Amino acid sequence: MIDASLPPEGVRRTIDAVWKMESAKIVAGLTRMVRDVGLAEELAQDALVSALEQWPESGVPDNPGAWLMAIAKRRAVDHIRRSARLERKHEQIAYELEQRQPDGEPDDVLRLMFLSCHPVLPTEERVALTLRLLGGLTAAEIARAFLAVEPMIVQRIASAKRTLAEAGVPFELPDGAELTERLSSVLGIIYLIFNEGYSATSGDDLMRPELCLEALRLGRLLAELAPHEAEVHGLIALMELQESRSAARTGPSGEPVQLHEQNRGRWDRLLIRRGFTAMLRAREAGGPPGPYMLQAAIAVCHAQARTAEDTDWAQIAALYETLSRLLPTPVVRLNHAVALGMAYGPEAGLAVVDSLTGDPTLRDYHLLPSVRGDLLLRLGRREEARREFLRAASLTGNDAERAFLRRRADEIPAPKAPTFTLWQAARGFLARDDFDGGTARSYGQTLRRLRRSLGDELPLDSLTADQVAHVFRTAWGEAAAATWNRHRSAVRSFCAWASLDDLAAGLDRRAVSPARTETIDAARLDALWNLPDVPLRELTLWRLLHESAAGVTTVLSLNVEDLDLDDRRARAGGGWVSWRSGTARLLPDLVAGRTRGPVFLADRRSGPARMPAQADLCPETGRRRLSYERAEYLFKRATIPLDPAGAGYTLRQLKPRG
Amino acid sequence: MRYLMTTKATDTAAPDETLYAEMAKFVEELTAAGVLLATGGLEAGGVRVASSGDTITVTDGPFTEAKEAVAGFALVEVRSKEEAIEVTRRFRKIVGDGESVIQQVFGP
Repeated sequence: MIDASLPPEGVRRTIDAVWKMESAKIVAGLTRMVRDVGLAEELAQDALVSALEQWPESGVPDNPGAWLMAIAKRRAVDHIRRSARLERKHEQIAYELEQRQPDGEPDDVLRLMFLSCHPVLPTEERVALTLRLLGGLTAAEIARAFLAVEPMIVQRIASAKRTLAEAGVPFELPDGAELTERLSSVLGIIYLIFNEGYSATSGDDLMRPELCLEALRLGRLLAELAPHEAEVHGLIALMELQESRSAARTGPSGEPVQLHEQNRGRWDRLLIRRGFTAMLRAREAGGPPGPYMLQAAIAVCHAQARTAEDTDWAQIAALYETLSRLLPTPVVRLNHAVALGMAYGPEAGLAVVDSLTGDPTLRDYHLLPSVRGDLLLRLGRREEARREFLRAASLTGNDAERAFLRRRADEIPAPKAPTFTLWQAARGFLARDDFDGGTARSYGQTLRRLRRSLGDELPLDSLTADQVAHVFRTAWGEAAAATWNRHRSAVRSFCAWASLDDLAAGLDRRAVSPARTETIDAARLDALWNLPDVPLRELTLWRLLHESAAGVTTVLSLNVEDLDLDDRRARAGGGWVSWRSGTARLLPDLVAGRTRGPVFLADRRSGPARMPAQADLCPETGRRRLSYERAEYLFKRATIPLDPAGAGYTLRQLKPRG
Repeated sequence: MRYLMTTKATDTAAPDETLYAEMAKFVEELTAAGVLLATGGLEAGGVRVASSGDTITVTDGPFTEAKEAVAGFALVEVRSKEEAIEVTRRFRKIVGDGESVIQQVFGP
């Protein structure tokens, strides 16, 4: 008999709701019984299927969660009996079953969280598995939230379960030093899920904002399970406070509204209060404040200010200073500069911002010129400010932000007298017809860099040798001597053409030493292969470079359809790239069912503004080919701890000796 | 999405120890799951403030239609209406006969 109050569609939706509420507990309890999270989830899914079959007929049971658990448990017992009968005596089986009853320990869910965020998994798999196992989301829902295709999420989840099984990761709570590290991975994944939803301002698909709530739910759950960890409460406070501003963050037509311009009446006081409460719990837990607590403390300062003018910037600047010692990322330092500028005047902020302009990782970060423009404007250096806003506009990938920055630039009147700008000069210089193709391309690169770093609108006659030297140090300070010299001669040629003084005067010609690519020794290679937390893509690339001795460009240009996994080789250009067992173990997982397109893919899909050539796009994921620069950067960063010089290695140094 | 669950007063006997314990456990569970944002009980009667034209009338309770009065509320954060219904169903099973209303909350 069909439950009179609920049509079949209603039953299905009720089952879905019950499933989302109960699945984490069920899967966690089963995992403790069968010691395999993949199998546990299958058993739980079986129970869900039974519910879908039976509930429309029998009606929804009084305690649907217990019903699902009972069915799943019965299946688990059957499974254990079946597999154990082959090898063990009956008494042993009975004893084991007794030991392995799921009694709904809350710790099981915590164990499940640590498992799904295990460092052995690549980040994107941790995210997918966590949403799947702890949030009860379907692959389709996860795919929608991450703007990905469903088969890719299915594949990620499958790969994660396989990796956990193969690595024999135990279903236990870590302790001691490991606990700190593992907990920080769990917190990192929750915050990543939150940010994925929070940074989506388009709001077309409700699933993305839903991610914020999912992250909050996971965080609140974690707080009950691990109540003595200050950083857990710190993270919750941070998320509650950020979420409290969500309604005020966008204007009527979806444009972003900056914090100081938000209508504070639209901030959600309930979430703010919850954020404050979480912050108090974090303080009660004791210990020195960690990065989440500090960021939450900053959010508290904003939430406490009734108007933007009331903001306690001195306190925020002090918090950023502490944070920048724990988390010395360029973005944190930039925010520190903003706070200093607000607390102690624009000069103080500008001093810190100017020290950041030499940081290579920030050279194309649009917020740097944007913040700098702001400070310059407050100092009355209007023309410089205008150029910085324009430069920021040219660097951002977000349309709404570009329009906003252009508007800021337009509000400052441009100089009356027509100036010959860097952009005009560069265009004239490159339009010369006496360059061959290679030279034109190479000089084009040099001038594009100068324009991006100094701004198109820079009057040519104000360009100084110091500025050029600064750009060179930031962009090519670490580059090979030949690269440095090539850009240097471009500048000299440009100056000669434009009848400028020699702006390359501050740049020494560098000696090209052939012995520069020293290979990495065996002991360090061994350490490299065992570095923790290296994503699969990087590990495969490094192994392949080492085993094949092929060039970096060649290896990055490989496509899935060129691979011959059985014969451990791939067609590349006119020849072959071949590898050995280390790569052979990793490649299938990296390819993971893809049939075409680049083997090594970038982390994100490219925006429409920078659409790569078709050959560099994965037809299945829409992501583009991993660039040399990115691969090199990641390798350098990962190898800093191995390099006695502390600089990190280059990919070329992976070639075997001799 | 947020739902406000309001529960009407019943004239049954005062809640016993068991019910208190069960309710406490239920509230604890919902809080741990990140579902329950706020909850509370409301005094019987209260004060009624009515406006008509320029006149504001303030009347002290209790009022005659006590059975329709709201006696408690819970604000929950859920993924769907079905989830809100499921939470309410569990609540009703604990408190026994009576009536609750759930309404989606918009804003702020």
